[in-house]
Amino acid sequence: MTIETNTKDAALESLLKDMPSLIEGLRENRETYLTDAVLLGEIPSPTFGEEDRVRLALDRFRENGLDDPEIDDLGNASGILPGSEGSSSILVMAHADSVFGSDVRHVLNVGSDYITGPGIADNAIGMAAVVGLPNLLEKLGVHLKDDLLLLINTKSLGIANLEGSRGFLETKQRPIRAGICVEGAEQGRLSYSGLGALRGQINLRLPSNYDWHRFGAAGAISHLTRFVSQVMEIPVPKEPKTKMVFGEMHSGSSFNTSPRSGSLRFEISSEDDEVVHEMETQVNELCEQYSMETGIHVMMEVVAKRKNCGIPFTHPLVKTTRSIMSEAGVTPAVDPSTGDLNSIILAGHPGVTLGLTSAENVREANESIKLEPLYSGMAQMITLLRAIDQGLCES
Amino acid sequence: MTGNNQKWLDHNTFHHGEFWDILKLVEEKEKKGLKISLCIPTLNEEKTIGKEVLILRSELMERYPLIDEFAVIDSGSTDKTLEVASNFGADVYLASDILPEVGNKRGKGENLWKAIHQLKGDIICYVDADISNIHPRFVYGLVAPLIRREEVHYVKAFYDRPLNYSSGLRSSGGGRVTEILIRPLFSLFYPELTNIVQPLSGEYAARREVLENIPFPIGYGVETSHLLDLYDTFGLEAFAQTDLDRRVHRNQTTNALGKMSFGILQTFFNRLHAQGKIDKLPDLETFYRRFEVEDGVYSQIAQEVIEEERPPMIEIQGYLNRNQ
Ligand SMILES: Nc1nc2c(ncn2[C@@H]2O[C@H](COP(=O)(O)OP(=O)(O)O)[C@@H](O)[C@H]2O)c(=O)[nH]1
Ligand SMILES: [Mg+2]
Repeated sequence: MTIETNTKDAALESLLKDMPSLIEGLRENRETYLTDAVLLGEIPSPTFGEEDRVRLALDRFRENGLDDPEIDDLGNASGILPGSEGSSSILVMAHADSVFGSDVRHVLNVGSDYITGPGIADNAIGMAAVVGLPNLLEKLGVHLKDDLLLLINTKSLGIANLEGSRGFLETKQRPIRAGICVEGAEQGRLSYSGLGALRGQINLRLPSNYDWHRFGAAGAISHLTRFVSQVMEIPVPKEPKTKMVFGEMHSGSSFNTSPRSGSLRFEISSEDDEVVHEMETQVNELCEQYSMETGIHVMMEVVAKRKNCGIPFTHPLVKTTRSIMSEAGVTPAVDPSTGDLNSIILAGHPGVTLGLTSAENVREANESIKLEPLYSGMAQMITLLRAIDQGLCES
Repeated sequence: MTGNNQKWLDHNTFHHGEFWDILKLVEEKEKKGLKISLCIPTLNEEKTIGKEVLILRSELMERYPLIDEFAVIDSGSTDKTLEVASNFGADVYLASDILPEVGNKRGKGENLWKAIHQLKGDIICYVDADISNIHPRFVYGLVAPLIRREEVHYVKAFYDRPLNYSSGLRSSGGGRVTEILIRPLFSLFYPELTNIVQPLSGEYAARREVLENIPFPIGYGVETSHLLDLYDTFGLEAFAQTDLDRRVHRNQTTNALGKMSFGILQTFFNRLHAQGKIDKLPDLETFYRRFEVEDGVYSQIAQEVIEEERPPMIEIQGYLNRNQ
């Protein structure tokens, strides 16, 4: 046992020693993946409308000579880079969808040390890192024993609720050793668990026979704000870590017409599934109470609900990832994921989410990534791949 | 003539989609032993040049070796154009450093002309630097007809599928100057040239043998003069054009277009005279005059626009020496 641990330590040590030259190699070969990031990023790809962007990813899989390049029923593109042994595979994935609609001008600007434009960080550069892996590994002289299963998945964000990656993992019956989710930002993030969460929408509607003359009568906006302040009274525990975020609110269409309906979108997340469940019950009770007291219809619709899941902090995959990050000069920031990592873990595979570089104004039109940190960000991803391949991430 | 026009349109008008198989183009190019140079003329284009160099170089030199040389030729930018371009691996030149013995004139045409001396390719492809939706098609769409068809010497880009009337969305074809200046002039004097959808587009590719034999206006007239001079020598058959879909670039003010038209007209009239289409040309004024009004007071503004021309490169001693 000790002997085995020692050889593993030595193997990891030798991988870490390679990192500086890997970083240089990635800097020298940046053209290919930066180009992919721009070409992919300039194709609009809103959630549920990712076809065009995914098709380009598939073309790249083909051009790069992957086995079985294909698009599945959910629109996910995948392909396989065969390893020298191929007895198991490592999944590397990035989501194709972005929060920007097709009406947004998808033009990216390339400077000497940055790229700017909608969706470059989340997640065009992440996709480019996955799509470009076969070429990069070839150029860097990295050969793996495992097969690499590359996935550009659709339907990740918002109400899509990870539909793409979940569907892929449910139908793809391959022995998967571990999975890596690649996100453009933020370098240093380390997710190895999925946070239990509930996404809900409160729909508020005045009844058709609403009596505007009644004392206290008001439009949907007044009611919605009153109701939201009641929801905000629900205590949010610090321990276990729990959060409630109000993300979107809609009502009305003009200056002087009282609207008759409104809606609120929110998310409750907690390390404890029970807390999420209790808070859901409380919101439901508030809805009922408010409806009865005012005669207004208030209902909560659960859009998505997810259980806590993950691998422990002490899992070799997490430990190895931390060593790699610190070698790359990055301080890991542990951050439970609400993204596609959940799908990997729920499918029973160990996995982590990595961020490639530092970014600004994420999810705004002037979203921007820095190029300098990108090279070490990519190096950490490739080193982790090698570590998984050498069996250094399992007990 | 209409029949001929149709024949030319059918035969010499392409869509970039016909050339998607870049690998095949590379093979054909190598079989014919052709070398291709790409030239981007620049003046203060730091916003867009990075992406152009990045994408065109990595797709068309690294991934598919379609172009053999990638040059940015600059008119003296004061922004970061040169830094960004060389950062992404372009060969960067100052126009003033090329053939210094002939002096330095200011204007895009000067850069295009000097490129003939500086670059080695049998085919030179010119692409403006201000394209914000750059894509490899802007290059392979233009060089492909030259690789495939020996009788074609000069390939122009056009944009926005103006020929596709069936969609109901009928775009105007060229830009404003094309539609209200060039097209009427061509209709009057060179009706066959009206087949060229966007005579002023800044993207074109041509063989060295033709480029070195024509003069280059250094300013606005360079595209027009190329068409008139090559048409005079070779006729329409030497031309082809490729639909490159959409091009997004900065918009010019109407004032700027007026000045540009003034320059083009000088080039145009000089050619009419030289080619014997009109008899006698008076001395042409070189001041472009327009009005400005401020607080109800009108004043005239006069700007000098001289369309100087460089002679055919083949007449320059430095170029002839280079060839030895
Ligand atoms: N106007 C101008 N453009 C130049 C000059 N030198 C290089 N260029 C480049 O020539 C290209 C076309 O210029 P632009 O002014 O946009 O002309 P337009 O596209 O015809 O409106 C761009 O790539 C410029 O950066 C110059 O001296 N004047
Ligand atoms: Mg322009």
